[in-house]
Order: sequence, then C-alpha cells, then structure tokens
Amino acid sequence: MGSKDVLVIGGGIAGIQAAFDLAEMGVAAYLLERKPSIGGVMAQLDKTFPTNDCAI
Amino acid sequence: MLDAGRHPNIKILAYSEVQGLEGKAGDFTVQYLKKARYIKEEVCTACGACAEKCPIKADNDFEMGLKKRKAIYIYFPQGIPAVYTIDPEHCPMILKGKCGLCAKLCQAGAIDYEQKDEKKTLHVGAVIVATGVTQFDPSVVTEYGYGRIKNVITGLEYERLISASGPTKGHLYRPSDEKLAKRVAYIQCVGSRSLKYKDYCSSVCCMYAIKDAMLAREHDEEAESYIFYSDFRVMGKRYQQYRLRGAEDYGIKYIRGRVAEIIEDAEGNPVLWYEDTRTRQVKSLTVDMVVLCSAAVPSKGVEQLAEVLGIELTPNRFVKTDPFHPTDTTVPGIFVCGFCQNPKDIAESVSQASGAASRAAGLLGITSSGKRTVA
Amino acid sequence: MNEKRGLPSVGVFVCRCGVNIGGFLDTPALVEYAKTLPGVVFAKENLYTCSESGTAEIKKAIQENDIQRVVVAACTPLTHEPLFRAICQEAGVNPYLFEFVNIREHCSWAHMKEGEEATKKAKDLIRMGVARAIELEPLESIEAEVEPSALVIGGGISGLVAAASLAERGFRVALVEREGELGGMLRHLYKLYPSDVPAEEVLKPWRDKVIDNPLVDLYLESEVISVKGYIGNYDVVIKSPEKEIPLKAGVIILATGAQLWEPPEGLYGYNKKDVITQLELESLLMKGKLKADKVVMIQCVGAMSPERSYCSRICCVTAIKNAILIKELNTAASVHILYRQMQAYGDEYESYLRRAKELGVRFVNFSPEQSPVVENQQVKVYHQLLGRELTLPFDLLVLSTPLVTQRGSEALATLLKVPIDQDGFFLEAHIKLRPLDFSTDGIYLCGCAHYPADVGEAVSQALGAASRASIHLTRGYIKVEPIVSSLIDEKLCQGCGLCAGLCPYGAIEMVDTSEGKKARIISVACKGCGICAASCYCQAIRLSHYTREQLEAQIRALLSA
Ligand SMILES: Cc1cc2nc3c(=O)[nH]c(=O)nc-3n(C[C@H](O)[C@H](O)[C@H](O)COP(=O)(O)OP(=O)(O)OC[C@H]3O[C@@H](n4cnc5c(N)ncnc54)[C@H](O)[C@@H]3O)c2cc1C
Ligand SMILES: Cc1cc2nc3c(=O)[nH]c(=O)nc-3n(C[C@H](O)[C@H](O)[C@H](O)COP(=O)(O)OP(=O)(O)OC[C@H]3O[C@@H](n4cnc5c(N)ncnc54)[C@H](O)[C@@H]3O)c2cc1C
Repeated sequence: MGSKDVLVIGGGIAGIQAAFDLAEMGVAAYLLERKPSIGGVMAQLDKTFPTNDCAI
Repeated sequence: MLDAGRHPNIKILAYSEVQGLEGKAGDFTVQYLKKARYIKEEVCTACGACAEKCPIKADNDFEMGLKKRKAIYIYFPQGIPAVYTIDPEHCPMILKGKCGLCAKLCQAGAIDYEQKDEKKTLHVGAVIVATGVTQFDPSVVTEYGYGRIKNVITGLEYERLISASGPTKGHLYRPSDEKLAKRVAYIQCVGSRSLKYKDYCSSVCCMYAIKDAMLAREHDEEAESYIFYSDFRVMGKRYQQYRLRGAEDYGIKYIRGRVAEIIEDAEGNPVLWYEDTRTRQVKSLTVDMVVLCSAAVPSKGVEQLAEVLGIELTPNRFVKTDPFHPTDTTVPGIFVCGFCQNPKDIAESVSQASGAASRAAGLLGITSSGKRTVA
Repeated sequence: MNEKRGLPSVGVFVCRCGVNIGGFLDTPALVEYAKTLPGVVFAKENLYTCSESGTAEIKKAIQENDIQRVVVAACTPLTHEPLFRAICQEAGVNPYLFEFVNIREHCSWAHMKEGEEATKKAKDLIRMGVARAIELEPLESIEAEVEPSALVIGGGISGLVAAASLAERGFRVALVEREGELGGMLRHLYKLYPSDVPAEEVLKPWRDKVIDNPLVDLYLESEVISVKGYIGNYDVVIKSPEKEIPLKAGVIILATGAQLWEPPEGLYGYNKKDVITQLELESLLMKGKLKADKVVMIQCVGAMSPERSYCSRICCVTAIKNAILIKELNTAASVHILYRQMQAYGDEYESYLRRAKELGVRFVNFSPEQSPVVENQQVKVYHQLLGRELTLPFDLLVLSTPLVTQRGSEALATLLKVPIDQDGFFLEAHIKLRPLDFSTDGIYLCGCAHYPADVGEAVSQALGAASRASIHLTRGYIKVEPIVSSLIDEKLCQGCGLCAGLCPYGAIEMVDTSEGKKARIISVACKGCGICAASCYCQAIRLSHYTREQLEAQIRALLSA
C-alpha cells in the first residue's frame, strides 16, 4: 500500500519550508533533523543579508 | 520555524538519523534512529533548572565552540522542540552512574537516565532531502593560520560573535586577549574557487561578509572593515545595492586582491600580506581580527545519506539534479531543496523548498480532498 | 455568575515557569493581588501553566467557577497563545475571550535583579489584562470558499511549469500569453547553459504537458484586462483577439518574465549588424549564420550603472556559453570577454568558466571608471589586472545587456494591486522568507518577473509558486483569524480612500453607493494590522479584538494604580 505522507530530511530553512507547504496542503510531513532542534544554519545567524533583519 | 513547530500536520523527529530506505516512489519504508535524549520530551518544559546546576561543561557546537554548555543542554534557547538533551559523552550519570543532580532538580520529573536509542520505521510516499550546509575547515589552508593564529576565525564563528544572543552578546571580543576588535579583514574564497580544495563558488560569502562588516559598524562606530575578494558575486536581488550601501554608509573597503599569507605580530594581531591586483603591488595590512569566508560545503554525512537513499552526488558532493529539473534527484520520488543541491541564499532555498513540495504533492496526487493530519 | 458588579467572571492563572518566573517574582503575591481585582472570581498559581496538569487546572476551574474570561500571566503569546486559546475552546469559552499577560519576558527576565519592582510591574500588567479581558468580545473565525482554479499570466518556461504543475494536481488553469506562441524568451535562445542542450529541447516537454492537459485553458495573443475580487474569488476578464472572456479564479500566478534591454543605436557602435546583443547572437547561432573570427563581448552594458544599479545575474554565464559555442564552431576564432565582476556562482558555473578558458576564451577585467572604447572596428580597453591598455580588433562585437522590467509591468501591477520595486521587478512579500508570495494573499510570483534567473532557477520558482498557490486550492476554503477591521457605520465614512491606499494587503475597496464613495473591507483579505483604523480621520473603522473600549480599559487600569 502506498502512502501520502512525506519525509523531509534536514530541518533548516529549506526543510522547514518544504514541510510547511505540504502541511498546509493537508499532507502529513515528518521533519527529521539530526541535531537536537530544527533551525539549521539560519538559526545561528543574527541578521541576514540583504535586509539585515532578524533571522529566526 | 515556530509555525512549523506547532503545525498539526508536521511531526518533528529531531535528534534522529535516517538509516535505511526501501521501496519506490509513492511507497517508501524508512528506518531511522531516534537517539536517546535521556529526557522525556513530553514532560520537559525547558525551564532550564537542570542545566543551571549541572556541574559538567562541554563544547557548545551551536556556538561554534566559542562558549561552553552543560552536559544537559538545550541546543539553542528558541530551539524546537523546546526540550533539553543530555550529552551522553559528558554526563557522569550516563558514563558511570555518578551524579544524578538534574533528576533531583527537575520539578517536572522529565529526566530518564535509562532511555535508549530507538529504531523506528516510517511509511511515506515521497522524501525531500534538505541537509544543507556547513563550512569547510580552513586549517588546511596553512598560509592563513587558522587554528594557529588565535585571531583568525571563520565566518560562522563570526556570526556567533556578532550575535546579540551569542557568547559575547554581540561584542567583537577577539579570541586571543578579549580586546574589542576594531579593524577586521574578511577574506573571500578560502578553499573555494580553488583547484586545490573546492573548485566552485559558495555563492553567499561575498554578501555575508558585507553583512558582517555592516553589523560590526552598527555595534561600534569606529569599526573598520576590509573585504578581500577577486570577483564580487552580486548576482542576487538587491545584492549590488547592498554592496554599494556597504561602501557608502558603512565605510567598508573592498580590496581586489588575493591574500598570500597571514602572520601574527607580537600583540597577536594578524598581518596580511597580499597583492592588490588592481595596482599589482604587494602590500601588508595589520588588523585586530581576520574572518575567513571559507567554502560553504554540503553538510557532513551527506555521502552516507546518499548511499542509504541511493541518490547520486556531484563531484563536489552536492545532490545531483538535472539543471532544468533542479528539485529532482536521480531517484524518482526523492526530491531535494536548499543548499545541499547547489550553493544558494535563504530566499532561493525557500523558493526551491516550495518547489520540492510541489513535486512531492504532484507525485502523490494531492488535490482538493487532501485534508489529513499526522496521527 | 459574578457577584461583583455584574461583570463577567474572570479567572487568572499565574505561571511560575519553574524558576523562570517563580525564581524572581513573588507569584503567590500576584495570585492574592489578582483576587482583589474587579471581575476576578478565581486565581491560582501553576508550576507550568502550559503543562498537561496546568491546562487541566484551567479547564477544571472554568467548569467549577463558571469562568467567562481567562487571563494567563506567563510567557509570550508568540509561542503559547494558540495553546491557551485552544484550551479555552475545549472548556467551552470562546478563544477570543482569552487574554495573555507576559510576566516572563516583560518582568522576570527583563528585571532579574529587581524582584520587588518586577513583581509590582507584573501586578500592573495583570490589572491591565483583567481590565481588557472584561471588555473582550467573542469572535468566530471567518471562512470563505475558494474557487478551485488558477490564472497564470505569462507563458514562458515559468508560466508553463506553474500551469502544468497545478493541472497535474487536478486544478483548472487559465494560461494567458500575450504572444501568439508559448515559450517566452526560450523561443529565441539557441542552446542553454550549463549543459548546452537546445532550448527547444527543454521547452518542449513542458509546452506539451500544458497543451495536452485538458484542464489547461490556453489563451494566446491575449491579455488580462480586469481583475476584481480577492483570494479564492477573483473575477477576471481576458481579452483575446476575438472577444472578451470573463472567468473566475481562486488564485493568480504572475510569470510575465523580463525583456532584454536594447541599447540605444550607437552605444558602443550598436547597429544590429556587427555590433549586436547576446540575444541577437543567439539568433545568429540558431540560424547557423554566425561568421566571425574575432569576437569581443562587453559585459554590464547598461547594467551596474546609476540608471540600472543591479546585476542581471545571467549575462556572465550567457557570455561564457556563447563564447564556448563560438570556439566549438571555430577553434581558430578569438573570443575576448570584457567583464567587471565575473558571476560564475554555484556548484557548476566556475567549471563552466574554466572550460571556456581552456578553450582559449580570453577574459579581460575592466573597471567602470575606464570603460572600453569602440572605434574603427577595434575595442580599446584598459586591462586592470595586466595594467595596460589592449587593442582588440573585432568583426563581431557582442553587448551583454541586462534583463529589465517586462513591457506592461506597471499596468499589470495596478490591475493586480501588487507592488514593483525600484528596478522594475515585482516586489515579493518578504525578500527572504516569502520570495514567491505577494503580501496580498492569493497572488504569487515566479521567474524573471521576480528577478533575472536562469532556467533552472525559474523552474524552481515556478514549481514553488505552484505549491504556494495550491495550498488554498487544495483546502477549498480559507479561514482567517477574526481579528479584522470593519466599518462601524457606513455614514461615518467620507469616502476619502486613505485607508484603501494605505492597506498593505489590498483588503479595502472603494465602492460607489447612493451616498457616494465608501470603503468596503474584505474581511478574508484583512490581516488585522489596524493601519486603516488608526488612520481614519472619521473614526469610522473599528478593529475587532483591539477596539477602542478594550484599549482604553487597559490604559485606565494602568493609570488607576
Ligand atoms: C557563515 C554563513 C553566513 C550566511 N549568511 C547568510 C545571510 O546573511 N543571508 C542569506 O540569505 N544566506 C546566508 N547564508 C546561507 C544560508 O545559511 C543558507 O542559504 C541556508 O541556511 C540554507 O538552508 P538549508 O535549509 O538548505 O540548510 P541548513 O540551514 O544547513 O539546514 C540543514 C539542516 O539539515 C540538518 N542535517 C544535515 N544533515 C542531516 C542528516 N543527514 N540527517 C538529518 N538532518 C541533517 C542540519 O543539522 C540542519 O539543521 C550564510 C551561510 C553561511 C555559511
Ligand atoms: C540572451 C539570453 C540568453 C540566455 N541563456 C540562458 C541559458 O543558456 N541558460 C539558462 O538557464 N537561461 C538562459 N537565459 C535566461 C532565460 O531566458 C530565463 O531563465 C527564462 O526565459 C525565464 O523564463 P520566464 O518564463 O520567467 O520569462 P520569459 O521567458 O520572459 O517569459 C515570459 C512570458 O510572459 C509573457 N508575458 C509578458 N507579459 C505578459 C502579459 N502582460 N500578459 C500575458 N503574457 C505576458 C511573455 O510574452 C513571455 O512569453 C538567457 C536569457 C537571455 C536574455
């Protein structure tokens, strides 16, 4: 039997966005991250180019 | 991030690793390892009482090792899921059954020293790979002295230093003597665009160096910044304007030149020897601190993951795609997005992530009746 | 029922948050204080109000004490408001009768060393919260149906990919292309970097998918002339050569691409014969009519300049591609590329650049202060890195000019009420986090209409825009928080239109009534930012959940200490 769920590997901004879009469509998304929390590199950045607003 | 954290259709499997994959598009079985946190996730309220009193210190990898954390720790304060984790390599209770202080302190009763890693299985129709980026270790570029000269740091280390929530609360106290760094040089293409190390361009370093220099000036009016580059990569939306603003409003000096060598003077100041390629003169510059914008490379472990999933990588270890189908890996049903596919900034990572979601939804035929929730 | 002065009965829950609040503030004193406030019938302390046991205590208290307003004094609404609202709902209290008071970030964390003062401040905040809670009104979330179809404007590669992706998922798509053929810029290109495959080969499968899918209605030689309505419910009029066609759409994707800037006649000797643009070169290559032994290319012609300060992203790699193609046709040909900053980014383009160098293409770095000069079939340029002037005779000079705003963008922007940036490209909702959305819900963006992009990037974005747009189509309805503006009384509205002009979400329309022009607020499009209510001279607009009465009650409570 097939499944309509999706596994996203990596919980940085890309993985989060992919999971989020799918979830918003009603798809069950598993967001698998090897670190203790999601966030990826962007969580480590205080401000980001090109608008210098806060990263998280 | 928060929205994802509390979305009813998203289940976060943090502190986990994929170990096996079988099946085909529409019908995959995935084995993964859920590592023991030694904490009951549903019970922990992230109050932090445990970590406050924990007597053991270990390197904090979120802070790029610039700060210590305790053996019981939260990866970063706003982390999701908001739960603590015990580091089994440092916790004396896990290592030799001695201590147990955190369990006594935890008013919620969330500590579980007996917790074990769990092997789990998932059944999914599609997989999206988004394993991202890390920085190339520049210590092999010996002429720049990373690891030897204390005041030579990497871009990500700098990001933590300049962060208001970071180890120095945003002040540029340089590593050697905690003196405030006023003059900082940023060197582009360390280990990238180089036949010896990584032959590609990381796409984001020119821009984040400008950002870093702007932030330095915002924190300290006397900050002086020098960016050494060979071609300024300004191809993104509003990049060139940003670069111009960097020079005009923040006084950043852009120097087209390759740095040949960095040496350390008696006060611990890095001295850069470089050729200004516009005047073809060899010059030197003494600064308080140097930031190496070393190549941004695919995350560690991407080869193992690729092997588990059966997907191909490019020679530079990016996930391989056809140039005109940038979200499709070499295995049907496995899609890709973000930095692990090709160096890119946040905006492009986000666009491509939505693109990968679109491909997965297309494969699974998600249409008007797709309302489901994670069980 | 509340004994005290006929007020609704209020329950107050004070969280210790372990030590985070309890370690700094006198929480038992806060509970005792809360009990003295008007309306409060119940107050209690929890170790963690957000925990299972904490929320169970809220529910129990609601039932046992007939609580009608719930105030939680704890942490930040950013993370916990949804939880407490849901708890209220489960216990039978309308979720908008919940009030959050932040005594952690605002008191214990901000004033760690001044416990007593911080406790006083927490009392002030709780008093204000209770006063506002009493004035709160129950609200019901707003829902509207979504027409399960999309309008895609522009039939280049971006529009094709977006349309095909949505149709593949079972949604009806109207694809409007103003030219007589699909394909956009790719129709005029020879081969595509980085794999040098014919552009037609990349285009064809997508074009076929669109043509073959019965769910796609194609409108060629057509333009959108009217768009009315809002997310889920757009009324569109398309003008085709034969007639005007009205249709309905739930969402709109804008994929109108960009055009190549054509230099004025004479710039660097531009004459469309032996001084041409890259696009004209593509055409020569396509027709197999290229005859040149000495080719010079100049980058950034009309770009990275005061008039067009941006970098057009694709021109460097396009020049490299065409240089490679020329060298492959004619190894003896000399090709020089005169550039300012070489944009060979990412995993592949550096090696592409190296391939060109290996084939003998020469790269000459110049500075904008010493731009090349063209005279007598020669280009004179100061090579910065060599430090001397070169004279390069040519029989073909190719100018790499930037992609610029598409013809008609301004009119389209007005029609759709979406913004354009200083460079003429469409302006997304957020440059990093929402690159494919407009701030108006229901309209999305991809490809060169957003910013110059290569085909791979345009495809990524087009798939992405399809994903964003499909969210509402998949659900079939939209549900928005009922914190929205409304007109208190149409008579108060003078029809000045200030609110409609200021609304960042296109949620206010000015409509003609028998009483003259009046504002009409589309509540499903409203985000509750309050700009309209704050700027209305006649105070004709009210923002629910942040009404005057509620805010005044809060302020009065503060001043009543
Ligand atoms: C120093 C520096 C500064 C930057 N500054 C900016 C900036 O200012 N603006 C900007 O737009 N961009 C900036 N960038 C680029 C930006 O960081 C990336 O575009 C963005 O982080 C890419 O997001 P991602 O989700 O693809 O990858 P990441 O953020 O790296 O996230 C990947 C996630 O996957 C996890 N992961 C990795 N491998 C596995 C595995 N095998 N299993 C499970 N999980 C795994 C990682 O732990 C991580 O959480 C910067 C990059 C660097 C290095
Ligand atoms: C000289 C040159 C060489 C290039 N070489 C390469 C290459 O080798 N490799 C590569 O990857 N990329 C290359 N590109 C970039 C490539 O052309 C773009 O990535 C691609 O065209 C983007 O597609 P698009 O659909 O976004 O825009 P476009 O191709 O511009 O398509 C937009 C479509 O919208 C239509 N339209 C516009 N306004 C309206 C309206 N109001 N109503 C209805 N329809 C409208 C237009 O008629 C057009 O058909 C090159 C570009 C140029 C200029």
